[in-house]
Amino acid sequence: MEFGRSSVEDMERLNMTLQELEKAALDIRIDLLRLCNREVIHIGGDLSVADIMTILWQYRMDYDPKCPDDEMRDRFVLSKGHASAVTSLNQAYIGCFPVENVIDEYAQDGGRFSMHSCSLVNPYVDVSTGSLGHGFPIACGIAEGLRLKGNDKSRVYVVMGDGEQSEGSVWEAVANASHLKLGNLVAFIDNNDLSADGRIDELTAMTDLAGKYAAFGWKVYECNGNEMSELKDIVDNLPDASSDKPVAVVAHTVKGCGVSFMENEAKWHAGKVTEEQLKTAVDDLQGRYDRKWGKM
Amino acid sequence: MTKLGEADERVIVVNADLMNTSRNRKFVERFPDRSFNVGIAEQFMVSFAAGLAHEGFIPYAFSMAPFMSMRACEQVRTDVAYADLNVRLIATYAGLSGGISGATHWSIEDVGIMRSIPNITILEPSDGIQAVKLLDRTIDHKGPVYMRISVDPVSEIYDQTYEPVIGRASVAAGGDDAAFICSGSVVSAAVEAAAELKKECGISVRVVDMHTIKPLDEEAVLSAAATGYMVVAQDHNIAGGLCEAVSTVLAKDHVSAEVCFAGISDRFVAMAHAPYLYHMFGYDREGLKEKMKNLLGITGQ
Repeated sequence: MEFGRSSVEDMERLNMTLQELEKAALDIRIDLLRLCNREVIHIGGDLSVADIMTILWQYRMDYDPKCPDDEMRDRFVLSKGHASAVTSLNQAYIGCFPVENVIDEYAQDGGRFSMHSCSLVNPYVDVSTGSLGHGFPIACGIAEGLRLKGNDKSRVYVVMGDGEQSEGSVWEAVANASHLKLGNLVAFIDNNDLSADGRIDELTAMTDLAGKYAAFGWKVYECNGNEMSELKDIVDNLPDASSDKPVAVVAHTVKGCGVSFMENEAKWHAGKVTEEQLKTAVDDLQGRYDRKWGKM
Repeated sequence: MTKLGEADERVIVVNADLMNTSRNRKFVERFPDRSFNVGIAEQFMVSFAAGLAHEGFIPYAFSMAPFMSMRACEQVRTDVAYADLNVRLIATYAGLSGGISGATHWSIEDVGIMRSIPNITILEPSDGIQAVKLLDRTIDHKGPVYMRISVDPVSEIYDQTYEPVIGRASVAAGGDDAAFICSGSVVSAAVEAAAELKKECGISVRVVDMHTIKPLDEEAVLSAAATGYMVVAQDHNIAGGLCEAVSTVLAKDHVSAEVCFAGISDRFVAMAHAPYLYHMFGYDREGLKEKMKNLLGITGQ
């Protein structure tokens, strides 16, 4: 079967350099802050998961916005549904809709984008999410569905938070995915160590997630989830989709990553930035990029 | 289920360690590749079924009604109903039919829960033939279906020529002096009560078998109300169930009729055999007959 996306476009995507990917993530972060200047968004988690989301949507996933129902596409499930802003922006960058639509319509009555992803208004959302511990088990059903149809090419990418790991339904899915040998399932855990009420180790002490997933029979990668080179190395070398172990990527991230006054601050789980804060934040982000890659 | 599996290869069975209670072992043996048993994990079972439905399959998920409607409630609502998926939730142990298992295994709230969730079609068959035929109809039905089934053996009401239609009530016994509106295991008790009322009092009571609780057949309710006297009964809490659904129709259409409700009177009781409990709450044959006689003002024998 052929993909909707042309091989030239596929080639361009997969030839993105590390610098291009980091620039893409920088653009996403700046857009997030512009949005955050207008509306309350889950900015902390959006920033921590921005690199994961960028590498999945703009680089790794076979997904053609012209054919969002293509049978051979990779599937995406946002289990941490509150990271909808960063997802919608990435969808915009691959051509689902203009970036400014996301910023203008976000949280507006009658708009397509809001606090959580909703398939009733956004055709590029396969699974509506928001309540935690739901997307991941659904992704297992999708992965098994692909297997039943004989599609051993498509993968199911699911993105969870580390706070979400406290939900019992997550562990029902961890056990079953392993039992069903769902090697076409790739679960990212945005491990930013903070949830809405504070430090996760002060709440449920869900430590050593990598060890826990491994004990259930998963293939586990651990990395700095805000280091594009580490993420790229992992997604470039995933086991074949037809392999028999589900893949977990425990991505250690920083909530509010890249913005000096937000990093590791639980109070920036959700919020809105002032004009002045926006300026500081954009300077922080641009400076971080320029220091690494030189001024453009 | 095996017949459905043969008819359509999109049909899948998902169990949560209740395959034997749910009696779908034959399907599992015949179609092992299309059968999943996720262990005692009802929440996962429902979400997993939703995922399969996202990929175009028609999963039938089996559990006991209390676990399907309460343990997995949010999964049913958010993962299945919100997305309007073709998932079929087949729930045994409806009402008090779990009997001596006690309240943990009864389901006296499930209809109320499911009625308040958009998109879900709720079915409650009254005998084996109706159950099989309604199950057959679910293949082509659009959107989620919740079917609650009693574990009690009931006497057969219909024969093989019977063809139920989802959303349209069946008339299990004809009559124009008064009407029973009921569903599930209560229907056969109402048919017996109606027969005795005819014999003993000479009144002809219609038995409306409301096998589809949602969407409710409002015409059948209004037609029954036109007799002037109705006993509405379901093996469920009166709150939230068929009784409340019927009274909503009456209120909306400003219909006045003498109405009596029979069901669980909003309380928990200790475990006992189902017939004892049905009698206690007054929706066995005897209780239904008594309620109808009171409504009609018939005293003595």
